[in-house]
Amino acid sequence: MTITRRIVLAGSAGALAMPNVVRAQGETFRVGALNPVTGAGSPYGSGMQRMIGAAVEAINAAGGANGRRIELFSEDSQTSPQAAVLAAKKLIEVNRVRAILGTWSSGVSLAVMPLTNDADILLMHTSGAPALSTPPVNAKSLGFRFQATNDRFGRAFAEIAAREGFRRPATMAFNNASGIGNTDGFRRAWAAKGNQNGEHVVYEPNQPSYRAELLRVLNTRPDVIVMGSFLPDTTIILREWFQTGTPMKWIIPGWAANPQLVQALGPAVTQGIIAVESVSNEGAPAFAAFDAAHRRAMGNQPGTANAYAAMTWDMANTLALAIEQAKSFETAAINAAIRQVANPPGEAVATFAEGKAAIAAGRKVNYEGASSVLDFDQFGDVTPDFGAYFIEQGQFNRRYVVKI
Amino acid sequence: MVSYIVFLLVIAGIYALLAQSLCLAWGVTGLVNLGLAGFFAIGAYASATVVKWGGAPVPLGLLAALAAGAIAGFVVCVSTLRLRDDYLAIVTLGFAEAVRVVASNEIWLTGGTDGISGIPAGLPRDWGQGFHLASLAAVSAVVGAVWLALRRLVASPWGRALRAVREDQVVAAVAGKRVTRLKAEAFAISAAIAALAGALYGHYTSYIAPEIFQPLVTIYVFLAVTAGGNGRPTGATVGAYLLIAFLEATRFAAEVVPGVSALQAAALREMAVGVALILLLRFRQRGIFPELNQKAPA
Repeated sequence: MTITRRIVLAGSAGALAMPNVVRAQGETFRVGALNPVTGAGSPYGSGMQRMIGAAVEAINAAGGANGRRIELFSEDSQTSPQAAVLAAKKLIEVNRVRAILGTWSSGVSLAVMPLTNDADILLMHTSGAPALSTPPVNAKSLGFRFQATNDRFGRAFAEIAAREGFRRPATMAFNNASGIGNTDGFRRAWAAKGNQNGEHVVYEPNQPSYRAELLRVLNTRPDVIVMGSFLPDTTIILREWFQTGTPMKWIIPGWAANPQLVQALGPAVTQGIIAVESVSNEGAPAFAAFDAAHRRAMGNQPGTANAYAAMTWDMANTLALAIEQAKSFETAAINAAIRQVANPPGEAVATFAEGKAAIAAGRKVNYEGASSVLDFDQFGDVTPDFGAYFIEQGQFNRRYVVKI
Repeated sequence: MVSYIVFLLVIAGIYALLAQSLCLAWGVTGLVNLGLAGFFAIGAYASATVVKWGGAPVPLGLLAALAAGAIAGFVVCVSTLRLRDDYLAIVTLGFAEAVRVVASNEIWLTGGTDGISGIPAGLPRDWGQGFHLASLAAVSAVVGAVWLALRRLVASPWGRALRAVREDQVVAAVAGKRVTRLKAEAFAISAAIAALAGALYGHYTSYIAPEIFQPLVTIYVFLAVTAGGNGRPTGATVGAYLLIAFLEATRFAAEVVPGVSALQAAALREMAVGVALILLLRFRQRGIFPELNQKAPA
């Protein structure tokens, strides 16, 4: 058979008609997962994407949101704003998604939000930059942050440092909006308590060694080092610190000081480190559901290994509950319903299925997530409590909770 | 789908400008510029700061970008004159890194790692599709203008002198060509074009940050220029459009491969880029539009 122009035309027309056929078989609600599968966010990105998928599966198994199945389209942000913009545009224009979930670094979220605003769709992200809360970036209030702002983390660090009786804290920050946000928040809160701030070092990402930066801090003889860091750089810095033999206390955000860090360095190095994490309801039923799904999807890794995956799991659930609550697929209605289903008052629910049943029964629900209790303020930011976890013999022991 | 393609064409147009910049410096004059991303960034920041902080109109911002790029290019080129040629490549690589580090640390000017968001476009963004089409028209017009100008320049006696410098600068000098001056001119013009691309990128996407200007941008542009043919503005331009088309095509191709995880799909895309480059260098060493020998005037 020769391929004539007619056959090509018929074929292309058929291909174009395909989506309509699929659509006719049942309308879906399309959602995009845009996660850092490669690049600096790669320790977290795959897990984030898989957990969105796992949550969507659970939602569809419970009958979908407002009668429609959720259809997921996944892309890699490459942890690069440029690549993320192209991927987001593809998700929005080609896949026609109605929400984008799980952008990670602040640069990526800042670059993607103009596109989601243009398309009038929701963006749920895990970035720390304060600029993401307010206009011009969040001019349409369509952005939701499932991570505490870095400024709030910093304030929690200061509370913990004061409570532990430290006098001369130094700070080290990974040079991005998130890292610096942590240490700046700490320094502001620490100064506001009438204390003196110590040495502050900002280090460039992706270095094989941070010895120079570390020595600069250690030479000022602080009694604690407060970090705004991520897992790969924290691993290197702590190893190099341990080799110097200088006794030191550390306060590190929980996404860096996690079980993987202990696994990489061993209990001796990590002994006494204070990991600060938004209270991810580890006792809560939502966390148990997330943990089970995470172990299934990620080769029996516990859910505590990836704090961001818990956030993306919550994103899918919150979005689906909001659709269920809104009884609508319109962005404005869903947007308005998010706070209704996530914030108190209401019956605390841990899964989409539970929430769906409660909404069907006409009760007001309050989704208590796996990553935090997920209550959004007027800027779309969560306002969690923070736990101070002390690493002792490789175990994370929560000694107390800080409210700010 | 249409607006996705329009968006890609705008981005590809910006890459085409970068490719033309590299074509002039590397393809025609033989100056290896590994710091293209740095000049791209300088233009983006120059225009964004002038327009956003200074309140100047966008055309003035574009002029500022051209000027900033030309000056930076001139300084970088002149500062390596006493060194052997290979050092230009190393200096430009360092230069791009320096620009990125300065941009992420001089927070008062550049907004640090948060970058600058909400950069005005000079066209109303609430036109929706109209905004993207107008941007496409504007960027394509610039690409076309630069392409025409470069063609004229490369075909001119000045362009011939540049090629002479590329082939053997001693011979060119013996023939009375002012090698240093030619190199500085070519490099400054090339840097200005890259800076213009940066300015357009910032105004179009409304957001710039240091992490946008990674060395990967430079590598992609080298790939585009190699694919298209590095000695001809036409080749560089076509190469850039093909590059973006290819990169986006791998996205869809990776989707249809069954049974791969997101991580494997990302790796497949990277492999596809590598394989394409190897195949290209094996079968089409001089690019799709190889440089033509110019006949000596009778």
